[in-house]
Amino acid sequence: MRRILLIAKRDYLQAVTSKGFIIGLIMFPLIIGGSGLLIAVMNRGNAKTQRVAVVDHTGIAAAAVIQAGINLTRRNNAAPGSGIDTGAPFSFEEIKPEADEDAQLLALSDQIRSGRLSIVLDIAADALEKTRDSKTPAVRYYTNSAGFDATNGLMTGAINEGLRRVRLERLNVDSAQIAEVLRNVPITSMNLVKKDAATGKFVPGEKKGPVPAGVVPYFLVILLIMVAMTGVMPNLSVIAEDKMQRVFEMLLASATPFDLMAGKVLASLGASLTSSAFYVAAGLAVMTGLAALQMAPLNLLPWFFVYLIVDVVMLSAWSAALGSASATPQDAQQMAFLLILPIMIPMFLLTPIIQQPNGTMSIVMSFFPPFTPVVMLLRQALPGGVPWWQPWVGLVGAIAFALLVIWAASRIFRIGILSQGKTPKLPELLHWVWEG
Amino acid sequence: MGAGIASGGPLSGKIRRMPAVEIQNVTKMFRDVTAVDQLSLTVSEGAVHGFIGPNGSGKTTTMRMIANILHPDSGTVRVFGEERTTTRSAIIAYLPEERGVYRKMKVRALLEFHGELRGGRNVTAEVISWLERLDLAHCAEQKVETLSKGMSQKVQFIATVVPEPKLLILDEPFSGLDPVSTDVVRSAILDLRRRGCTVILSTHDMNMAQTLCDSIVMIFRGKKVLDGTLESIQASYPSDTIRVELESGTFALGSLPGIDRVNDLGKVQELRMAAGCDAQQVLQALAARARIVSFSVIKPSLHDIFVRIAGPQHEVAAVA
Repeated sequence: MRRILLIAKRDYLQAVTSKGFIIGLIMFPLIIGGSGLLIAVMNRGNAKTQRVAVVDHTGIAAAAVIQAGINLTRRNNAAPGSGIDTGAPFSFEEIKPEADEDAQLLALSDQIRSGRLSIVLDIAADALEKTRDSKTPAVRYYTNSAGFDATNGLMTGAINEGLRRVRLERLNVDSAQIAEVLRNVPITSMNLVKKDAATGKFVPGEKKGPVPAGVVPYFLVILLIMVAMTGVMPNLSVIAEDKMQRVFEMLLASATPFDLMAGKVLASLGASLTSSAFYVAAGLAVMTGLAALQMAPLNLLPWFFVYLIVDVVMLSAWSAALGSASATPQDAQQMAFLLILPIMIPMFLLTPIIQQPNGTMSIVMSFFPPFTPVVMLLRQALPGGVPWWQPWVGLVGAIAFALLVIWAASRIFRIGILSQGKTPKLPELLHWVWEG
Repeated sequence: MGAGIASGGPLSGKIRRMPAVEIQNVTKMFRDVTAVDQLSLTVSEGAVHGFIGPNGSGKTTTMRMIANILHPDSGTVRVFGEERTTTRSAIIAYLPEERGVYRKMKVRALLEFHGELRGGRNVTAEVISWLERLDLAHCAEQKVETLSKGMSQKVQFIATVVPEPKLLILDEPFSGLDPVSTDVVRSAILDLRRRGCTVILSTHDMNMAQTLCDSIVMIFRGKKVLDGTLESIQASYPSDTIRVELESGTFALGSLPGIDRVNDLGKVQELRMAAGCDAQQVLQALAARARIVSFSVIKPSLHDIFVRIAGPQHEVAAVA
């Protein structure tokens, strides 16, 4: 154990005093903050008016649709974030249908391609009819956008509200009554009600704040991912470099391969805990300063650190194995994808997990040990949480898997640090694990 | 006569009986390649033992097994009477042939790290003493990456001998050293031996092996082919070598009767006599062809024996 600690101390001090670590420590919050600022600036840039052309083949719906679109846009601007936020205002204009529909649509499409127009709403002649053929679209929506914005939702609202208004008018409903029927009723987001465990009294749900509930959990998980990666990734090239420089040859006379690997794992863990403690402390200080400490998921911090420890131990053992098997630091970089998979896959799926934290996919992923630290933490952090037993079962699985990784990694490491020549392929690595 | 060969080392004849290392029937394979094949040898305590042999013969594998870095597939390796498995201890130190150290670390910090890793406590004084001895005291606070190759190798040597081991295993310790540094390291090795340290070293420098080692083991194709003091090894070979220096160089040596082989060393040449050849006849034949500056009949040198064993037409089978 003394040797492991000596190696860990040396590697830890080397890691946390390196320029890369210090710059990364400062750059991470700057990048996150900068990204938010950039998005805000970009959204402001997007705020230029988008022209919407309404081609109304019914001859009676255009005005109502345009009015509904204007109303919706106005409501969004009055309470941004409470409705469909498209990030841009719209100007609507009616285009009279021409005899040659195809030629007209082509011309309008060309205008969209050239940027003079943003959207064309093409309302079919029978769009208002109850008996129309449902196989043909009632309204065609032409745009050049990639589909990631919320414009589609706003246009759907405008079309439906406009067409409903026309239908009501055709039923001779009074215009004042139409306004009353179509009056928008805002909804207020509330936290769940609960019973106080100590007193047994009913505790009403509170109104949710302006910040979406998923934001803090999202950043907590991003922090875990970033800290784990910054603590673990350097292992790959550092170990490959040490191997190339024949440093291990010297050390092996004094320490076993397991001592070396365990020391490096502990050093990575130390570096990750150092940076995470820094960020958590800084985050809490900022939230205290902004009087927003109630948003901090303090009850999750122990779980955050437990998952971080498991994740870093698992990944750093794996990175030590991959680094030791690499012939050069360049080869090690090429192996990096094998290291980041357990982190990147759940990262790509953060949005669907946030949307459905208790969906089948989220639950299954949170019990899949390589993904457990990230996915289970995210599910725990989201409103509603998870049943009490799930984090414990997930943790046991993750720890068991981490021990398995350490065992396999130590067998690869033992052979890898003394092997020379070409970097082995995955089947050969598995052979090393098998043969030991 | 004689090729300036020292006797089997200063401790020849008084090597202590207790074995520092006992290797019995050890075999080590790497996939399909047999690196060490049924090797048995004993290394006596308190002496310098030379491991010689061509590249890839199994020297490094054997030393790594003694240092407990590799484990034999079969057979036993005992160090000071103990068969070791996965432990490391401060009494054994190993300087590998291919070696490196953390280049970003300062010299003294690096040496203290290595010393403590080998189980030493409060090694600072020992480190400083060695730095002064190897003329590196002025580099103590420099980063290793700023040192020359020779200085870096001396640092690696110190990293190996702090704290002072009972068994020191050196794989090509003089490789890349200039003559001054070679003398310093050789002196340090002899000093360690005088203090009771057993030294095993591998070298391709046969002169170094002859002058420094109390006993020599030659490993060839994984098997031991020589084992003993230089005198005992040479005694097993006949005095069939003539060292000659002619005024006319090698011109007169062509097709000399009774000579199997001519080894041109530059200024002098070594002639290997065929079995039954009389040196006097060779002398007469040479005198008829050229003016002779010097002529001596000698035992084959270690270099010559090495070449006889490991050369393209090797001559002896493995010894028991």
